Amino acid sequence: MFHTLLQVNPIEGFFFGSGKSMVVGGVAVIIIVGLGLWMWRMEKRIQRLDDTATRQTKSSNESAEA
Amino acid sequence: MSALSNIRFLLQHAIRVELRNRHGIAGLLVFAVAAVYTCYQATGTHAEQESWNALAWVVLLFAGFNAVSKPWADDDEGVRAFLIHAIQPQHWLIARTLYYMVLLGTVSTVTFAAFMLFMGMDHLSGWTAGHYYAGVMLTSTALASLLAMIQALASRAGGGFSLIAVLGLPLIIPVILVSTRYGSDLMRGIAFGDTAHHLLFLATLSAGFFALGYILFPYLWRD
Amino acid sequence: MIQRSWKIGGIALLAYVFWTTFTVPLGPGLLEFRDRNEAASTDWITKRIETYELIGLGTHWTVQPEELRLFIRKGDQITPLPVIDVIDDTHAHAALLLPDTLPSKAWDVLINHPIDGTLFLQNGLFVEGFVVDESAQLPRPQFEERSADLPHHFPFQPRIFETIRNLMLHVPMWFTMFLLMGIAFVASIHQLSKGADGSSLFDLRAEASVQVGMVFGVLGLLTGSLWARYTWGAWWVDDPQLNGALVTVLVYAGYLILRGSVEDERLKARLAAVYNLFAFVILMILLMVLPRFTESLHPGKGGNPGFNSYDLDSSLRAVFYPAVLGWMLLGTWMYRIRLQATRLNQKLHRLNDE
Repeated sequence: MFHTLLQVNPIEGFFFGSGKSMVVGGVAVIIIVGLGLWMWRMEKRIQRLDDTATRQTKSSNESAEA
Repeated sequence: MSALSNIRFLLQHAIRVELRNRHGIAGLLVFAVAAVYTCYQATGTHAEQESWNALAWVVLLFAGFNAVSKPWADDDEGVRAFLIHAIQPQHWLIARTLYYMVLLGTVSTVTFAAFMLFMGMDHLSGWTAGHYYAGVMLTSTALASLLAMIQALASRAGGGFSLIAVLGLPLIIPVILVSTRYGSDLMRGIAFGDTAHHLLFLATLSAGFFALGYILFPYLWRD
Repeated sequence: MIQRSWKIGGIALLAYVFWTTFTVPLGPGLLEFRDRNEAASTDWITKRIETYELIGLGTHWTVQPEELRLFIRKGDQITPLPVIDVIDDTHAHAALLLPDTLPSKAWDVLINHPIDGTLFLQNGLFVEGFVVDESAQLPRPQFEERSADLPHHFPFQPRIFETIRNLMLHVPMWFTMFLLMGIAFVASIHQLSKGADGSSLFDLRAEASVQVGMVFGVLGLLTGSLWARYTWGAWWVDDPQLNGALVTVLVYAGYLILRGSVEDERLKARLAAVYNLFAFVILMILLMVLPRFTESLHPGKGGNPGFNSYDLDSSLRAVFYPAVLGWMLLGTWMYRIRLQATRLNQKLHRLNDE
């Protein structure tokens, strides 16, 4: 069982020694920040549509009353 | 009418309706026996201990599920509209749970007897078979108290068999988990006293299902 | 302002968590202490001076090799073993020089080194051919635990190794899911107690939080499955925690299917709330009771030598707590967006109808 782990070990050493882990970490950070920006924009867009819909509902109600 | 006579009336009515339509109950038994016979064809009487246990519970579970998942005779809106004013919803749930206990108890007993007959009882001897049967009965009690509520929910939602399965099966998994473990404990020759806590857990689960249903059922029932 | 800051804060926390999760190195540890003699000798005199090979992972034994100290321990009995030779950073040879009478056969192996600190291999040595007498006393050497002289690193855990990083993903997924299901539970109670007039305001909340919670539940299952493959050797194992997780995901899938099969809005709101309350309470009971019936492989339970509660040391906690908070904030944010979208959808439908 341990032999396979010892074979894995040099790869892990390479992974951390050569700075590859920084690349992985960087990509993960970019993905999560991108997700945040995407959600931010989506929230804004929904908010805007919501305002428009509310205005239209109001105006249609007023026209119905008139 | 007092609560007790209300419940008795509803229960008697349900059983009478069931017995009047004999195709229904006969269909359940044919389903169960056919399922047992399929298992017998596949393994003969030489099923290994674990397989025997697994097959027994699969057959019992689906026979029971089949029994409660057919539409209830009183489920049309007219009858419900009348009953809403006539009785308290809780009484209706109690009657329904009791009825399911009777129905599932009967179906499980017949299924289990057929299973023992066809598959042989090499793995269970004397008292062990009795203890196993006690597990079967408590499992069908737990199924009854859960499915009484789920069946009412599904029929209110207008879904058929598949909705009961989707809503009920996930919640059944823990019950089956405990039952199968109890069964395999008995077969491995573990003393009844050391595995009886599974039975206690099944009983507690039934009580829990019923108590939850008792609280929530009125919301389901009213319009 | 507060609105903006908690969302940015959540993303910033998660960015920090991801960065540290992938860049902080793993600390050193012991893998194995094994007999070097290939052919077992029957001569009991040579057996006493068998040489053993000590294998580490990420250790630095070539730095100050003369400072490497090896001990074996059983209970409060500790005795040193001489280190013969340091081959490289992770391999060293030691002699099994012990008296004829020992208090036990199974021993823990301990290493002291100025850089790696004190390393520990539970039940690492099993000796044979000695007289076992539990009252035997061994001479006690000077032994004190050292802390590692290394930059910030995650603790080494047997079997888990580098996958310890998954702790920051897997566990907060479940926490977040339970937070969202809790929101749904409260919303369902409100729906039943206040929604009698037919408004489905709270029902929309329950729906949105269950939908987002399901995402986290499925992610929790996936990350857990990967982790189980590495540490326990199978994609799925029979474990109460896993059964509970699966039942939870299935139950909420049932909840969403139930919603899909009812047309009438008012009836849908009520039925969904009833099922949600029913299911949530049963799940809570099951998740607390079922694990007591069986042994669990999960940390803090029987049968898992890997993690104990004290293994969550300060280096892990510094990432784990921000991870939990960050994922919860992200989950809450997703829930709010989902809720807004559902409400907008309803509004647009109403506009269309007019």
